Amino acid sequence: MKKNETISNLQIRNLLITTVIGVGILALPNQMVTILDNDGWIPIILGGLLVIPFAVMLDRVYKLYPDKNIYQIGREVYGKLIFNIFMIIILMYFVIQDAYVARIFAEVVKAYLLETTPTEIIIITILLVSAYLARCEIQVLGRVATLVYIILITLVGFLVLISLPDADPTNMLPVFNADFKKLPSAITGALFSYAGYEVVFIAYSSSDDKNNILKYIIRGLLVVIGIYLIVFVITLSLFGIDQIKRELWPTIAIANEVDLPGYFLENLEGIVLALWVVVVYSTLGPLLFAASRIFLNIFTTKSHDFFVLLLIPIIYVISILPVNVVEVYEKFGKVLNYFIAVSIIGIPAILFIGALVKKRRSKA
Amino acid sequence: MVDKISKDIKENVEEFKNTFKDADDLVYRNIKIGKKNKKEACLIFIDGMVDKSVISDYAIEVLFDEMEIDESNLDSYKTSLSEKISEESIAVHDVKEEDSYDKLVDMILAGETVLLIDGSDKALILSTRGWPTRGVQEPQTETVVRGPRDGFVETLRFNTALLRRHIRDPKLKIKTLQVGRRSKTDVAVVYIEDIANDKIVEEVINRINKIDIDYLPGSAAMEALIEDSYLSLFPQLENTERPDSAAASLLEGRVVIIVDNTPFVLMVPATIGTLFQSTEDYYSRWPIGTLVRFVRILSAILTAVSPALYIAFTAYHPGLIPTAFTLYLAASRVNVPFPAVIEAFLMEITIEILRESGTRIAGPIGTTIGIVGGIIIGQAAVEAGIVSPLKIIITAITTISFFAIPSYEWASSLRIIRFAFMFLAAVLGLYGLMLGIAILIVHLAKLESFTVPFSAPYSGLGLKEGDLKDTLVKAPIQKLKRRPQFTFPKDKTRMK
Repeated sequence: MKKNETISNLQIRNLLITTVIGVGILALPNQMVTILDNDGWIPIILGGLLVIPFAVMLDRVYKLYPDKNIYQIGREVYGKLIFNIFMIIILMYFVIQDAYVARIFAEVVKAYLLETTPTEIIIITILLVSAYLARCEIQVLGRVATLVYIILITLVGFLVLISLPDADPTNMLPVFNADFKKLPSAITGALFSYAGYEVVFIAYSSSDDKNNILKYIIRGLLVVIGIYLIVFVITLSLFGIDQIKRELWPTIAIANEVDLPGYFLENLEGIVLALWVVVVYSTLGPLLFAASRIFLNIFTTKSHDFFVLLLIPIIYVISILPVNVVEVYEKFGKVLNYFIAVSIIGIPAILFIGALVKKRRSKA
Repeated sequence: MVDKISKDIKENVEEFKNTFKDADDLVYRNIKIGKKNKKEACLIFIDGMVDKSVISDYAIEVLFDEMEIDESNLDSYKTSLSEKISEESIAVHDVKEEDSYDKLVDMILAGETVLLIDGSDKALILSTRGWPTRGVQEPQTETVVRGPRDGFVETLRFNTALLRRHIRDPKLKIKTLQVGRRSKTDVAVVYIEDIANDKIVEEVINRINKIDIDYLPGSAAMEALIEDSYLSLFPQLENTERPDSAAASLLEGRVVIIVDNTPFVLMVPATIGTLFQSTEDYYSRWPIGTLVRFVRILSAILTAVSPALYIAFTAYHPGLIPTAFTLYLAASRVNVPFPAVIEAFLMEITIEILRESGTRIAGPIGTTIGIVGGIIIGQAAVEAGIVSPLKIIITAITTISFFAIPSYEWASSLRIIRFAFMFLAAVLGLYGLMLGIAILIVHLAKLESFTVPFSAPYSGLGLKEGDLKDTLVKAPIQKLKRRPQFTFPKDKTRMK
């Protein structure tokens, strides 16, 4: 019997959420507050909303070419050579993004859980384990995403619950007081936290109900915006802007800050972080999957297994290039900013315009 | 060997005697039927596998007395001799005509009686099966407080009857297949035609037909031979000894496989959701059902991770537990000569040995083992300072959690996994344990059970349709209007 190769829209939504939410959320409140003080929530919302039109464009492109995947569409619109160059850019982006996530993750684990273990060991282990996920087929990714989504929601709910007693909403004030000239740069920074939604490009063609998929993608993005906002509001009301600016990863600090009477686990940040391993894992795996899928389509081989293993050493080397955390954020940040612009905004827009022009011409 | 039996009875009997050479439990009963015109006939059956009173009272005696054969007129009969005998002179409930020699041999082996008649090129098969059986008893493994007490037995036909008693529906289909070149074990595939998805039924039958083995030792072997990935630690089929549970699964659109000689029937497909269900849930009120579901899921987590957590916290992250508790832990471990890792492995292995020795032995010796184990582990080890009291508690929690999981196979897999987790926690602490859990999640997501994802409903299939109502929780029966969707049932509604 032929195996069922489709994945449900719900799974695509969850794949989107778990891939996007990874290490970005740990530093997001710090980054936003550093630029816009109390109004950091504005770029979070705007950045997320900015992605939606491009998701719509992507949906239109797929509707123009039903039953084709993104590679086939791209080749038809732009020709094999040009589109392969595009794809290689995207491939580089996935690889660098994966390296960045792995590195930040390793730094966080080292800081809170394994003080004496070398960063390299942590990076290698997490990469190997995510290779196991990346070697699976898309429907397995969808299932894993759904399982992890449950963990993610539990975790966010837990963070909200434990922070309620100590939260001080007045820390949110004043509103609309920031220097709005900085807004564009803040949005660019926030956009960074929405990187990874590109897996939808690949998952789209496997959907079992393509008519309604756009609804689910948009809902997924809204859930991500919601989770980011919740985390931002919690951290801000717990710490206030001055302390957030001092914390590199305020989200983890939430668990450390709160102190309930009769606490069994004193230092909750370790526990929160341990659960976060799975969430980050479900970011690394799909990214690696996406990267190796591009390889598969460039070389038109049967399976993408081999490319996953090929990519692991490359990602590893890139991830250990920066010397310390500060450099990780600076160097990777700079490089990835360009890539993200191309990948989140560029690819859907380019495909959309190209496809429209092509269809018009063929009609005329 | 000949294909068909001949008209000469001597030849035929000789043929059977050749085939069953040195099989002393074969009985050849020669009789002469009819009062006037004696005609030679021979009954062949296996002693012990037939109901002898049926043969003597309703076959032999009747044939002696009542049969009248008009030899001169034989050719004028419209029907053949064997058909006439079967229609007029044998008082056994099921009689079949057969001329294939191989088929007759199979039937004798199955416990039927073959009647050879001189001058007829067809033999009669009399249904006389009757062998020593165990009566229907309460199952030992899945006892319930309020449910029915009957359990499956070793005889396939009884088991199908037990299922029919629950579902009086002509759509209930029972397809019998044979597996085993030598054992010729009967296997029944049971499903409800207008509920079960054709693809699943077809897949089950295909996989069973593909089996080519000489002897099928029981449903466990069947399970191993037809499951999707036999290398996995996890069971991808569910088994039960209870007819009510099997009947309920039929109504969920699942397929039940009954193997002869085993009281355990298989139910496919199985998912994580169904492995946490127990028959008892449906005989208690829904709040209790929901509570125990949560307890079981918690137990599953505890079975797999609690020793690993102990290692991770004591050896790597004492800072993560409250100071008072850390101090207590340090004080209790001050005399323990081993590191936490060794201590944990030592205790977990001891408990495995204790469990294994207790499983095989019942009665007074079993009690002795329990006492010895309890005293040695519970008291002497702690007093001697070999292990810390906390570790004893952790071991005890792990062990009792194991028994709180309804599916023994599923629990056993988690029990094995815990050693892998302990190892990972020993190497990389909490982070290592989480890596292990991440791998486990992917493995579970990869597993499929007869084209259905094993991780359903938690991984998406049926989530929107409300499958969680009877997996994560046990909703009141009024709320379970739809059948679970993981089997892709043709008839989706259960209640209106």
